[in-house]
Amino acid sequence: MSITITRRRFLAGLLTGGSAAVLAACGSTPTATAPTASTASTAAPAADATPMPAATTAPAATAAPAATAMPAATTAPATVAATGSGTKITYWGSFSGGLGDAEQAMVKAFNESQQDVQVEYQFQGSYEETAQKFTAGLQAKTIPDVILLSDVWWFSFYVAGAIGALDDLAAAAKLDFADYEPVLLNEGVRQNKHYWIPFARSTPLFYYNKDMFAAAGLPDRAPETWAEFGEWAPKLVQKDGETLKRAAFSHPNGTSYIAWLFQPVTWQHGGVYSTPDFKMTMTDPNTVRAAKFYQDSANTLKWANLVADLNKEFIGGTTAAMMGSTGGLAGIEKNAQFKVGVGFLPKEKNFGCCTGGAGLAIPTGTPAEKQQAAMAYIAFATNPENAGVWSRNTGYMPVRVSSKQLPEMVKFFEERPNFKTAVDQLPKTRAQDAARVFVRNGDQIIGKGLERIVVNNEGVETVFADVNAELERTAAPILRDLKAIEG
Amino acid sequence: MRDALPLDGAPVVSAHPADRASRSLPLTLLGYAALILAVVAIGMPLYWTVIASFKQTREIYSIPVTWFPAQPTVENYFKAWAGAPFGRYYLNSLITTIVGSAAEVFFATTSAYALALLRFPRKELIFVLLLTALMIPAEITIVPNYLTIAALGWTNTYQGIIVPGASVAFGTFLLRQAFRSLPYEVIEAARVDGAGQLRVLFSVVLPMAQPALVTMALLSVVGKWNDFLWPLLVTNTSDMRTLPIGIYWLRNQEGVTDWGVVMAGSLFLIVPMLLVFLLAQRSIVEGMTAGAVKG
Repeated sequence: MSITITRRRFLAGLLTGGSAAVLAACGSTPTATAPTASTASTAAPAADATPMPAATTAPAATAAPAATAMPAATTAPATVAATGSGTKITYWGSFSGGLGDAEQAMVKAFNESQQDVQVEYQFQGSYEETAQKFTAGLQAKTIPDVILLSDVWWFSFYVAGAIGALDDLAAAAKLDFADYEPVLLNEGVRQNKHYWIPFARSTPLFYYNKDMFAAAGLPDRAPETWAEFGEWAPKLVQKDGETLKRAAFSHPNGTSYIAWLFQPVTWQHGGVYSTPDFKMTMTDPNTVRAAKFYQDSANTLKWANLVADLNKEFIGGTTAAMMGSTGGLAGIEKNAQFKVGVGFLPKEKNFGCCTGGAGLAIPTGTPAEKQQAAMAYIAFATNPENAGVWSRNTGYMPVRVSSKQLPEMVKFFEERPNFKTAVDQLPKTRAQDAARVFVRNGDQIIGKGLERIVVNNEGVETVFADVNAELERTAAPILRDLKAIEG
Repeated sequence: MRDALPLDGAPVVSAHPADRASRSLPLTLLGYAALILAVVAIGMPLYWTVIASFKQTREIYSIPVTWFPAQPTVENYFKAWAGAPFGRYYLNSLITTIVGSAAEVFFATTSAYALALLRFPRKELIFVLLLTALMIPAEITIVPNYLTIAALGWTNTYQGIIVPGASVAFGTFLLRQAFRSLPYEVIEAARVDGAGQLRVLFSVVLPMAQPALVTMALLSVVGKWNDFLWPLLVTNTSDMRTLPIGIYWLRNQEGVTDWGVVMAGSLFLIVPMLLVFLLAQRSIVEGMTAGAVKG
């Protein structure tokens, strides 16, 4: 009993550090509980209260991910003959409002399409809150059978051994990985195994106010390059003395994910946040050049500003152009009182555009027959027809290649040319750098650095040296855990 | 309690004409300026919520902002009500708030009475423990609480929402301080007249400490009514959720939020609390004059 209390205290202590630490509780447990090794061994039998083969000691994922979680995931499908009749599974997601209605419609369609599996969709707050609840649920062994995780969260749960490899389940469900958009699918692959299936995926897109562009005598298209936009910008800006009344372009701030939209700009300048093996490259000359471009746009050239809510400023007409998520396209077109234009992101040295959004995963602690049922739902929600339905209802990218050829989709593209532009850009995108998506809180570390550069006008080299050091420090324990799980 | 409310200076001054002459005019003006500032600071967001709930989304997103809806509409209220099962959320919020606050007030009153007015060993130690509990931010206790509730099998139940907040150190602390500041002569007199502990508590102490009691109850009710994170964490299904989560449901994670609808939904939450405040306010003021000792 006293052991339990120490573990809880330990977890509680970690929580003080905020959301970043929540996951630390999950990821770094193996090292932390090392002195009380008995905890892990006592925790495992307790997990067997759930009806599942003894071999799949999956709830122990929280206690000792590296050792037990992997075999659990691979042996599980072997014990499953077919989907159990009337299996009930729960699905934790982050969609509310209009997206939530679309999500519930999808679940309802699935439940009515067959008798074997009944899915219950449970809304768990934002991406962050869903991830935190999952962390707490792993400790308390109250986990869902399918979970929606965002681009910056799934990897942490992978490292903790909390989500399993899906290849055997997918094979049993006859899922055709070849038909998924490769760039989206491959983002969820580690060591040739699929852990994270793309579902609600978005990319950045260049938005512009057609009316303002026309009034300024500019062509009705997005700029080819940032240099071209630099020539256009002075014609779009409206000033009241020294203050910007209308910006030519707006950046988001740290909390509204500037590090996501700065990612493609870094690539366009030939830089990167980090290499795939977690070497941080924020001080790379080209990364620095990209940040100097952001700094100059706001401080020297004075045609851009930093705002809290991009969509609001763009719809309100206080900025003429922005990079924004494709996920906002439908809402912007509906609420803007002007013609909305979109285009591919501008180039600098190269073209560059990243992906974002959320995908589906199956927790390792779920009983085997429920895992197969969960896969049946994932297969349904991402089949070519439904990927198209979801995409048309929400504005997210169709995750299946063949969705684009379906008649409904072709018709939709004709009605909504802006949406077609967004989808056309998709094959040219790539997965984000590890520094933002795999390092816990990496997004905020880079975002705060960019705020210092753009708002406080601090030197780029100094700030990015700090950011680089902080990223390296934060990445160290993840690398250790990753080594434990991937060898 | 009177000392704890620094802002009540103004009404007291006007109640005693003799004092007024001694106050200089600039000081009075300053007092009024502070009052107006406080009203604006507190009232503005509320005003903004109310007018936004009558605006169309397009107007909310248009700049410059409008101070009054150009084309007032009540459509947002229907949309918000239809957007989530608010009837059920009201029921759940009422149950968890009433039961939860009743428990909190009961435990706070009885424990504060013991700590303030009874003699027993290790009393100070218990009080220090209580103060320690007061220092721990609620965020820290959330995960241990969740683990306990899950172990009891109480996730997605009313007791799961209510029990962890049924007794809170703050209430005990607040009432203990209030009870200690009461004139002890009155309590002693009651004991001499043969009143037992419960009689002293309910007939003497609580009426005298009414302002503190109402304040504590009010804080408790508002806290539970507005609580978001704990009910979100401990419940899973829509039929067990409370109003704040319902409002959250109206928002969009990515894309453009229909703020008019969200604001209308927020008023579902705010209006009952405003009514409670209006009713409770009278008890706070009445209580202040009810505790006199001298005759």
